[in-house]
Amino acid sequence: MKDLDANMISAHEAGDRRALIRLYAQAADAVNDLDASCFYLTHAYVFALEAGASEAQALHARLKAHGREA
Amino acid sequence: MTQPLTDLGRVRASVEQANGLPNAHYIDPAVYEEEKHALLFGQWAGLAVAADVPEPGDAKPLEFLGMPLLLIRDKDGDVRVFQNICRHRGMILVEEPRKIEGAIRCPYHSWCYSTKGALVSTPHVGGPGHNTHESIRRDELGLNEVRSHIWRDIVWINVSGDAAPFDEAMSDLIARWSEFDLPLYHGGHDSRFELEVQTNWKLAIENYCESYHLPWVHPGLNSYSKLEDHYHIEKPGEYSGQGTMVYRQLTNENGEKFPDFEDVGAKWNEQAEYIAAYPNVLLGVHRDHAFAIILEPKGPERTVEHIHLYYAVPRSDEGLRMRNTQLWKTVFEEDIFVVEGMQKGRHATHFDGGRFSPVMDSPTHCFHDWVAGKVEAHRAMKQAAE
Repeated sequence: MKDLDANMISAHEAGDRRALIRLYAQAADAVNDLDASCFYLTHAYVFALEAGASEAQALHARLKAHGREA
Repeated sequence: MTQPLTDLGRVRASVEQANGLPNAHYIDPAVYEEEKHALLFGQWAGLAVAADVPEPGDAKPLEFLGMPLLLIRDKDGDVRVFQNICRHRGMILVEEPRKIEGAIRCPYHSWCYSTKGALVSTPHVGGPGHNTHESIRRDELGLNEVRSHIWRDIVWINVSGDAAPFDEAMSDLIARWSEFDLPLYHGGHDSRFELEVQTNWKLAIENYCESYHLPWVHPGLNSYSKLEDHYHIEKPGEYSGQGTMVYRQLTNENGEKFPDFEDVGAKWNEQAEYIAAYPNVLLGVHRDHAFAIILEPKGPERTVEHIHLYYAVPRSDEGLRMRNTQLWKTVFEEDIFVVEGMQKGRHATHFDGGRFSPVMDSPTHCFHDWVAGKVEAHRAMKQAAE
């Protein structure tokens, strides 16, 4: 998780949306707590939405399945 | 009863008797603010050109009379104008012209909007990882859209939202130029320029719509386009301008010309018209090219003129285009000392607004009459609301 954090910070600094989508999705899978997982999934989803990335659909579906997205 | 800011009684008299608008209409911030609502927000005003956002997803932030706006071509290709602010905390959404790949994400808390303005994501709005809340109804919180209409590639906006539909409000001008209702193509980067002028925007209109000044300010035109070759154009309450009967096409060293707008009709072989579409758009049409000048008021005494040239074909000759741009730039630059000089003149106390030549100045008087009528109507409405 420590490496993931560092990579996320680097991706934020670089404005690398592709990496942000991937890293936040990885973070969501790396935690056991549902709220924490949905927090990361939300970030992955928002960056995917912004980028018009195909991942947005699946990320939305996961959030919706947990009652976290409309 | 509130005293009106200015007395417009003399302005609406006949051209033989009328005075021009009082000084305050050019220098007083309170009148500028009044006119902002009466003349610009309440009408169909020119904001930009659709060519500014050629591809779906292209977005360009703009300011119109201090209001932050976002010009965008949505995913389906329709040009729209939104207030450039998030419905959450009023944060500016887009700072620089750019392509929106997917959604418009607010840089503050990341609320996201589609290119059609729909609110599509509200991250953590119900707490961390909870992206919905019953009190935040997305369908009620889309971007505030400004009423807009495209005509002759110009993006016209009606900020107040209560003007007559564009086709109705501009029906006479649309009909007058129905022969030019043909595809027109922006000439690209070499066919746009801006002039920043220390003048009230109305003086640019007033100068544009009369031909009286041409032989004095544009002596280069005398050789082929004399004063007597011009005629007035006046549609009270809507537009005014001038036309010429001796338009001569530009040629290059090989004698080549721009291709004509197809089927525009023989009437326009040597005729061209220059019309101020009230409030703030100056238009010109010729058999082979057209132009638009959008006047952006930046304050009582400052205006930016955004000039765009258009052609009948998508890829016209670059050399000719550059010559044409330079030709018009020279003409419009020749007008700068006049509008700036008249602006300085408005600081002379006791100036009565001036008098008009009943023969030569009627298109300018037509504009003043429109201004006075709209301002008086605005004042009457405000008075009634008090």
